[in-house]
This record gives sequence, C-alpha cells and structure tokens, in this order.
Amino acid sequence: MFKHLSRFKSALLPGLLVSMLLLGFAFVLFFTLFLAEDPASVTQLDVRVYSLLKFTLYQAFLSTLLSLAVGIVLAWSLAHQSQFKGRSVLVALFSSSLVLPTLIVAFGLIGVYGRNGWINQFSLSLFDHSFGSYLYGLFGILLAHTYLNASFAARALLHSFESIPKEKYKLAKSLNFTIFQRFIYIELPALRSTLLSTGSTIFLLCFTSFAIVLILGGSPSYNTLEVAIYEAVRLDFDIAMALKLALIQLAVSTLLVVFSSSFRTGLSNLKTGELHIPWKEKKHITAVQRTVIVLFALFFILPLLVIIVDGMGADFGRIVKEELFIKSFVTSLILATVSSLITVILALLLSDAKRYFVLQTRLADNVFSKFFSILVSFSGNLYLAVPSLVMGLGFFLLSQNYEAPMLFWPTAAVLTANVLMSMPFALSVLAPVMQKTAQRYDKLAFSLNLTSLQRWVYCEYPYLKSPLGYVFALAFCFSLGDLGIIALFGSDEFSTLPWYLYQLMGSYRTSDAAGVALILLAITLSVFILLPKLFRSRVAENN
Amino acid sequence: MLKITDLKYRYKSIDDVYTYTLSVKPQEIVAILGESGSGKSTLLDLIAGFLAASGGSIELDEKELAALPVEKRPVSILFQQHNLFEHLSVQKNILLGVSRTLKSSREDVAKVQEILKEVGLEKYEHTLASSLSGGQQQRVALARVLLRREPILLLDEPFTGLDAKTRMEMLDLVQKISRENDLHTVMVTHELQDCERIADRVYLMKDHQLTEQ
Repeated sequence: MFKHLSRFKSALLPGLLVSMLLLGFAFVLFFTLFLAEDPASVTQLDVRVYSLLKFTLYQAFLSTLLSLAVGIVLAWSLAHQSQFKGRSVLVALFSSSLVLPTLIVAFGLIGVYGRNGWINQFSLSLFDHSFGSYLYGLFGILLAHTYLNASFAARALLHSFESIPKEKYKLAKSLNFTIFQRFIYIELPALRSTLLSTGSTIFLLCFTSFAIVLILGGSPSYNTLEVAIYEAVRLDFDIAMALKLALIQLAVSTLLVVFSSSFRTGLSNLKTGELHIPWKEKKHITAVQRTVIVLFALFFILPLLVIIVDGMGADFGRIVKEELFIKSFVTSLILATVSSLITVILALLLSDAKRYFVLQTRLADNVFSKFFSILVSFSGNLYLAVPSLVMGLGFFLLSQNYEAPMLFWPTAAVLTANVLMSMPFALSVLAPVMQKTAQRYDKLAFSLNLTSLQRWVYCEYPYLKSPLGYVFALAFCFSLGDLGIIALFGSDEFSTLPWYLYQLMGSYRTSDAAGVALILLAITLSVFILLPKLFRSRVAENN
Repeated sequence: MLKITDLKYRYKSIDDVYTYTLSVKPQEIVAILGESGSGKSTLLDLIAGFLAASGGSIELDEKELAALPVEKRPVSILFQQHNLFEHLSVQKNILLGVSRTLKSSREDVAKVQEILKEVGLEKYEHTLASSLSGGQQQRVALARVLLRREPILLLDEPFTGLDAKTRMEMLDLVQKISRENDLHTVMVTHELQDCERIADRVYLMKDHQLTEQ
C-alpha cells in the first residue's frame, strides 16, 4: 500500500552514513579520552572537582531561572503590545542574540558595567561615586547569560503567546478574569511546553558556557568545568586533570541531554505575528508592559552601542594592515564558509533520513524505524552532549598520537566543532520543513513519477530555499564568533577573529579590541540579516 | 426582550459599515445565516462587547447594554472550539463560570453535579477536559452556560465539525436549555439544517445588512 515510500530508500544511505560517521567520531573521541586516563581516577572526586561541578550546575540553574523569568515577562509584554512602535525591529534585534558572538557580548557588557564602563562613568560625573568592579564573578556570568538567553526565550515564548486562540481571550474577558487569572488559566498552560524545551536548552547552553565564564568569571572560584579544562591544558599543562574534568563533563552533559530529550526542541526561524485582541489592556497594565519593553531594549542595546561607539574610535587603518589581523580575518571567513556549507549538506542528508524513519513509524509502529529515527536525531545533536572543550581535548590527544601537517589538527578540530555546534539548530529548522513537504507532495510526486532531481527542483527546493538561507547564515555566524575549541588550538600560526580579539583584550589593547569587536559585530549582523534575504522564497513564506 | 436597533460597526473605512437590526424574545432562538466573512460573527462580538459599535443600541428588557464593558454584559458565549481550559477538570471548567478563584461552596459543587446530569455528563465530573470528545466538550461549555444563568446565549457555529448524530443531540439540548431557562439565543451558522431544527426565526446576513427570512 505504501510502496511509494521505497523511493526514499535511495536517499536513505547518505543520511545514515553521515549519522554513523558522527556517532563513530563520538566513540573515537570518547575512547581517546577514556584510554588516556586511568578510569578509576575519574571516580575519585576531590574537593576542587566537586566544587567545580557544583558551581557549573549552580550558575546554569540560576541563569536558566533568570533567563526564563525575564523572557516570560518580556514575551508577555511584547505579545500584548502589538501596536508598540518599533516592536518588529526590536523582536528582530532580540533574535540576533542567538548569533551574537559571546565574546562580543562580554566585551559590550564590560563596556557598560565594567570598572571604566558607562554606568561607572555616568555615576562618577553625576555623583562623584564609582561602583567599582562589581561585574566579575557570578553577577557577570548571570548578567551575560541572561542577556544572551532571555531574548532567545522571549522569542520562542512570544510565538507561544501568539498561538493562543483569540476565543480563549474572549472567554477570559467574558468570565471577567483578572490579568493574573488570565495568565494562570490561559497563558501559562500554552507556554508550558515551550518553557520546558527552552529551559532545558538554555540550561545545557549555560552548563557548557565557556567564553562568558572565561572572561567574566574573574577568579578560580567562579570557574566552570569548561574553563577548568581550558586552564588545565593551556595554563597548568595538567593533562590528567583536564581528562578527568572532560570525562565528568561528558558524563553530566550526556545525562542532561538524555534527561531533557523528551521535551527539548531546537530552534527555528519562528515567525511572529500579532495577538489579535480587539480591546485594549488597562492603562496601568499597558504602562507596565511598555516599561518592560523599553527597559529590556536598553539592556540589550547598550552593550551593542558601546561596541559601536568605542569601535568607531579605533585606528582601523592600522588594524586592518596588521598581519595577525589579516590572517585571523581570512581564516575566520574561510572556516565559517566551509563549515556552513558542510553543515547545510549534512543537515539535509540527516533530515532526509530522519523523515524516512518518521514516516515509516507513522505508517506502522516499526521498532527499527523508531530506533533509527532516535539515532539520527542523536547524531545531529551530539554537540550538546560533547561540548567543544571536551571535543577539543580529544583532538588535542589525537594530535599528540598521530602526526600530521602542522595546521591539520587545529583546522579539523575547529571545522568539526563548528559543524557539530550548528547541527542541532540546522536540523530543527530543516527537518520539519522536509517532513511537511513529504506529507504534502509524496503522493503527487509518486503519481507523476518524478525523478529525484525533478522532485528536488519542483517540490523540495521552493520550500527549502528560505530555510536553507537561514541555516547557512546561522551556521556562518556561529562559526565566525565561536571562542571554544580555538582557545585550545589558537596560536600566531592558527588564529581566528574571536581568538585574536581575546588576545587583544588580554594584552589590554582596548582600542584595537574595540575595533576588532566592531568588525566582528558588523560582519555577524550583516550576514544574519542580509543573507536570508537573498534566499527569500514566496512559497516558503506563505507556508 | 433583546432588541438590537440599527447597530453599526465600521470595519476598515467609512464606507465599510455593517448594520444590524433584530429582536429576540425570551425562549426564542434566532439563527443568523450567511456566507463566510459576511459579518455574522461580528454581530456576536458586538453583543458580547468584544467589539465597540460605532452607533445604534443593544437593549435587554429596555436596559441599554452597549455602554457596558464585556464582563458586565449578561451574556454567555459558545465558540466553535476553545471553549474550555483543557488542563482543568470538567467540574473546574464549569465552576469558573461563577468563581474565578475556583473556591467553591458545597452548594456550587452540588449545582454543578445537577447540571452535569442535565447535560448527560455526570460520570465525567473529574475528567480532564482535554480527554473528552468534541461533543462532550461542547456539552461542558453548555453546562457552564446553565450555571451562569445569563439571559443572553450567543452561539458562534458551536457544533460545526461534530458528527451528524451528536450535532442533532446538541441542537436539541440547546433548544431545551433555551426554553427552560428563558434565554434569548442568537445562533450564527451556515447550516440550513440547524435552522430548520431549532430556529424560531432566521435572518440572512448579506451586503452588510440583516434581512429577516
């Protein structure tokens, strides 16, 4: 009856191969780490390791809680203020937090809240009082994580608010619900699944956060596992310690990924519309909602503004002529382009394999299809279980064991990390679109006896064009701004823009750092905003 | 008597004006027929207060309603879907009609049980609304209407999508409730069959105007 599905099988092999390759890579990595360390020593948790683990979990928990709380209030305000001037621009700007390089965010926050930041300067000039250096430590980490994740949470939650049927609001109004009751009975139930999925994603991101903690942590007592691995390798040359931490990090991340897999969803380019409630909110509620929007907009825009203002004062003529800058710039662009292309191709193959198994499972409760579907999904989400520093350590050990041309291992490590980092996001955007296209055109394509190429041209590409542009832009920005694995492999011979910027910040070349930060910000935002426009498709927008 | 006189709603421009005039006696069911987008549901939104009229009047027993806010209007409304809070039990869904904090007296609970019997759902008092069928969900919504005892009942195609047998049962239940509780019922539909079964009078919405058939 469903013989037409067999047509998919030709497309199944590449996807499965990719999946097996990724899982195989994870196994090699795991065994490289495991074999390099005496397994018994991993279970011996000394006080330092225990406190590192405790702080990593603690800061991730607080960051998630704060991000969700701010995200809910912001999404609620945006949803009910659909006529607020500049709303769509703000929503689009908040979406960019997803691709903002963490290093840039840290740099911007230092510019606003640091010892010589705008707040202290403002306070000094008005009240002759400085708050000093209050940013570094848990406060800075939470501030940066909230900056990055609250806007991401708000974007996802706003979509949930806008999906609430207007009849529910009418019902609430006719039953004379207060704002609080409306939230409890109507809005919160609609947000629940998004809260769980967004919350677990944020927790995982904060658990494995590296650049923010490295720069804003301040002291070893605010170190997370990732930063401790970095310090063990680069500063203390204590590989045994790094291995122990990496294995603990791997075990905890895998547990978290498995635990949250039932309710975690990825990201997609959520469309936002308007919440059509035909009456206005009460005046004091409107005032609260507008204040929330303005305050968050200020919180979000100020660090970006600092980068622009400080960056404008940099000596660009000199910066762009520096050999290390040119090297970092070119390397970053090449790595970002190559890793985005690989991400897009692998994500397409994996999505194709996944949809085959999902459709098989729907047609008949096939245990094998279900198993393979989970396997394919897991291989695409490997990055969440194997954070970049752990991956980096694996590559570091491989580079010690297997000789290769000088730049081979660093390039392979950064490319792999970049591709795996973008893959969960790429899959969450492409897989649902491919699934939908199959459901819509399968029977028609089969009845017209279309070849794979014709099917791609007539059925798949028109719907995938726009998401492909978005995924490419996303992967490009992620790769361009990442300061993860490069922290282990970065050198004068192999440098990227974020690594170069980190070096400048570390050597207190603040003006040059501001210039490079501005260049990085400009490229990231331009790519994220303009690239998807080149791939705009009317067909996809109407669906 | 519910009396709507020259009630106007301006949609997008000055020329785009809908005008409604009709009357509904107690126990009477008036059906509004018309094509999709003709402005049938707009009338219900105006009566309930979800939309503000640009002119005319809505009177119930000679008392003007048009100036009242939504929550003060003596109206119960049933939509095609989303009438219930799916995460709450049947009992709580009905109680929300009278107690927004869900603090209920024994009398309230007894009343809910009595009403559930009336709509044939006495076994489902503690069942989650989300696990009920479409027809059962609409019965629960009707039970809430009964508990609230508001004199105006507005039905916005509430039985579209139900199977024929359930649909007829629901229409009969509406008729029974309307007659026994002296309700003024306005039902928006595009099914002639619905009108034939329970409507006392039928209006047609065409060219932005209501015409009695």
